[in-house]
Amino acid sequence: MSPLTILLIVEASAIGLILFGAPPKKVSLVAAGANFLLSLWIYAQFPAGIGGWHFVENHPWIALGGLPEIRYHVGVDGISLPLVLLTTLVTLAAVWVAPAQIKRAAEFYSYLLLLSLGALGAFVSLDLFFFYAFHEFALIPTFLLIGIWGSENRQFVSLQLTLYLGLGSLVLLAGIIALLGVLPAEARTFDIPQLTDYLRDNPIAPGQQVLPFALLAAGFGTLVSLFPFHSWAPLGYASAPAPAAMLHAGVLKKFGLYGLLRVAMPLLPGGAETWKPWILALLLGNILFIGLTTIAQKELPAMLGFSSVMHMGYLFLGLACWNALGVSGVVFLMVAHGLSAALLFAVAGEVRERAGEIRFAELGGLARRMPFVAVAFLVGSFASVGVPGLANFPGELLIFFGSWKSQPLLTAVVVWGIVISAVYQLRAVRSVFYGDLPQHLADTMDVEGAKRIPYALLMAALLILGIWPGTLLGVVGPGVRGFLSLY
Amino acid sequence: MQEGLWILGAPEVTLAVGGVLLLLAESVAKLQSRAVGVLVLGVYLIAGLCMLPFATTGAVLWGGIYTWDRFAVSGKAFFLLTGMLVTYLSLEGEGKIPAARAEFYILPLFCTAGMALLCSVRDFVLLFVALELVTITLLILVAYRRADAASLEAGVKYLIVGGLATAFLVMGIAYLFGATGSTQFDEVARYAESEGVGPVLLLGLAFLLVGLGFKAAAVPFHIWAPDVYQGAPTPITAYLSVGSKAAGFVVLLRVLLLPFWNSAFQRHWVPLIGLLAALSVVLGNLAALPQRNVKRLLGYSSISHAGFLLIGLASHSFLGFASMLYYILAYLVATFTAFLVLVLLEQDKEGKTITDLSGLVQRSPLLAWSMALAMVSLAGIPPLMGFFGKLLVFLAAWQSGLHVLVFIGVAAAAAGIYYYVSVVRAMFWSDPVHQGPIVLHPATRGLLVVLNVGSILFGFYAKPILALAAGAVAGIGG
Repeated sequence: MSPLTILLIVEASAIGLILFGAPPKKVSLVAAGANFLLSLWIYAQFPAGIGGWHFVENHPWIALGGLPEIRYHVGVDGISLPLVLLTTLVTLAAVWVAPAQIKRAAEFYSYLLLLSLGALGAFVSLDLFFFYAFHEFALIPTFLLIGIWGSENRQFVSLQLTLYLGLGSLVLLAGIIALLGVLPAEARTFDIPQLTDYLRDNPIAPGQQVLPFALLAAGFGTLVSLFPFHSWAPLGYASAPAPAAMLHAGVLKKFGLYGLLRVAMPLLPGGAETWKPWILALLLGNILFIGLTTIAQKELPAMLGFSSVMHMGYLFLGLACWNALGVSGVVFLMVAHGLSAALLFAVAGEVRERAGEIRFAELGGLARRMPFVAVAFLVGSFASVGVPGLANFPGELLIFFGSWKSQPLLTAVVVWGIVISAVYQLRAVRSVFYGDLPQHLADTMDVEGAKRIPYALLMAALLILGIWPGTLLGVVGPGVRGFLSLY
Repeated sequence: MQEGLWILGAPEVTLAVGGVLLLLAESVAKLQSRAVGVLVLGVYLIAGLCMLPFATTGAVLWGGIYTWDRFAVSGKAFFLLTGMLVTYLSLEGEGKIPAARAEFYILPLFCTAGMALLCSVRDFVLLFVALELVTITLLILVAYRRADAASLEAGVKYLIVGGLATAFLVMGIAYLFGATGSTQFDEVARYAESEGVGPVLLLGLAFLLVGLGFKAAAVPFHIWAPDVYQGAPTPITAYLSVGSKAAGFVVLLRVLLLPFWNSAFQRHWVPLIGLLAALSVVLGNLAALPQRNVKRLLGYSSISHAGFLLIGLASHSFLGFASMLYYILAYLVATFTAFLVLVLLEQDKEGKTITDLSGLVQRSPLLAWSMALAMVSLAGIPPLMGFFGKLLVFLAAWQSGLHVLVFIGVAAAAAGIYYYVSVVRAMFWSDPVHQGPIVLHPATRGLLVVLNVGSILFGFYAKPILALAAGAVAGIGG
């Protein structure tokens, strides 16, 4: 059995144990910890320098005349392994920062684990059916997490988010069906590697690729909050409980990008070429329009929500330019953004919980009361802005190098996004942690003891990847080369 | 199977005989109505067991008007399951239906017998007889609560619209007979093959589709459904929404695959069915959006599911037909789960509106989770059976070139998420309006768990169900 299957089984059995009355936080923590260690082991065992699929498990699942074959096919390459690592690390951190004393704790932790299971399953699946199904079943836990434990305006927000994501998923489903529909009957299969190989040797006419690509791009785009399909994200993340926001913004949202990278762009290059101008135009909306909207935010979680939408613009840029540098940068930045977003949302959760306040105007001077949290926020902010030495910098740099080759003008415009993000991020740092400490925050307590470990883990990961990007690029580069034949 | 053994094996015989015997016994011995309910469950079991030895055999009996093939056997098994679940629901909801006398349990036996007979028909007259057996028993059951105005209103509506549909059906059969000189499916097919497809045959087919569209509650023959669903006793609503609908589709499959499979016919009925499908999914889902009464909401949702099933039918391919059978089983599991929860809540005069479901998770997590899974399955979200059914139906339609139909279906399914999720929302995060824990019988708990597990398991691992469905479709021609 592949260790990837074990990852899935561990989470599923943890959920089972919780349902049968085991202590939810302990069980979740043990399962998440075990999975993180296991994924580190997978990384250690992963053969460096050569591309291709590893830790593969491949069984027939459903075969029926007329139905494209469905297989249980899991495996990782240099593109998905970093995302698996990201998922297990952020899951561990999210479970750790979640309060033990929460109403309906058993449900809360089961939904968190389901969210994580959905992301893990989607990232390791090499079969479109499982790839889609794993991601979409995380929809209901997300809905419940925001609806039950969310803060302001949760009722409306959770319903809006669910409808948006549900519609996006259904458009995506139509796209998958359309993709299979343009293939000749004997080549139809849900198996991603088979599809990739087949389409590499027998490309279909570009005209036929236009519709399936449009559906896939709209579906995946909605799931990653591509402008103008983004409005579910900022409000949703602002309202979600911190662990849910960490897992969704940090991990699950990457599914859309991963899908574009794994399915839409390589299988339908002609369609991608046709729609490229549109994607380039829309990503400007993400970076500039949403960037400026972020500056105008008056509350910490909402600002983080918008900023996480904005950063998707860079990732779209790397994908749209579709060369080895840019795509490697995309994989790297997905991980980096996942880590920094998780860290920032965790801090926002602590501020909301401990200070009881999220409005910038009412916050200030908290660095004196909670120095550790302030450091964590500072590290997250610097990473998010793209300061060298932290993980986001190499990712963004690679994307800009990649896009410079084909889109110098656009790249020159987009780079200014960094200034925008520096403005809102540093402003947030100042207005939350520096300045005068208002009277009502005078007895705010810092995070103490073992509760610091998840923050430390995320910060350490950001630093390690920032200082030695080679640790991950050694895996990503050959993976991108192997899967996409881009070099 | 030989003609002599038919008496032993066919469940319609066992059910009808059992029903008559129970009616007689009840009139003589004054049995407790609850005991009769349990006996009825026994009759279903016996019918199922009697069918087992013949499950893999095949035959055409009674001069070619009755067929025993894998499709018929699967269909009969499906309706036996439906009948058992309806009886179980009636037993659970006993306190709710005033003066639920023994015939409330016994009548569904005849109805199920009619449905089982429908699975085997190869002749239009036999089809008519079986369909009327189903309709008339259902009519009595719908109007069973004589003191309740809503129930009576539902009965009258069902009577009038059902009568109209029957008239169309008979008219269609008359045209077909007039043109071909026979009522047998094979003869009609042979006539169309040799003489070509004339306007009279097409008119007959069109009238037939009207009559069957009523059974399936497809737009524009759906007007009766919401009112009747809301007014009928809840177990009967479940019966209508699963049994009656499935009966409509079983007959549609038989009729369209045997006498009207000719490509000259297909040219006409494929677009027509596609149109009905598009109307049903759109209208069913949109009309369900503002509903607050849960039974009425499920009524509209059942119209939309008729539409999704019709999408499978319109794709007129092997995959399309197999996916319909899978879909209908997924629909059975989810619908019965939902109605079982409603019946259990009705014991305390609750469960009428979505608000009554508020905070259910705090009163009974099992009920809330079962209802949530049923809703999520009907909405078509993985890993439940409803999702895989929709995937199959869309895939089949796309492969048959019905791209626009897939887009309409996807848009309608997206709208559907809203109202299904709003039921989940009420249960999971509103505060309860009714207090007090809900006590469940261990058997009911077991049944709910089985339904939930089945819905998840066969959603992810659809292979066994799909193999059954494919076998049934393969058997239809023989």
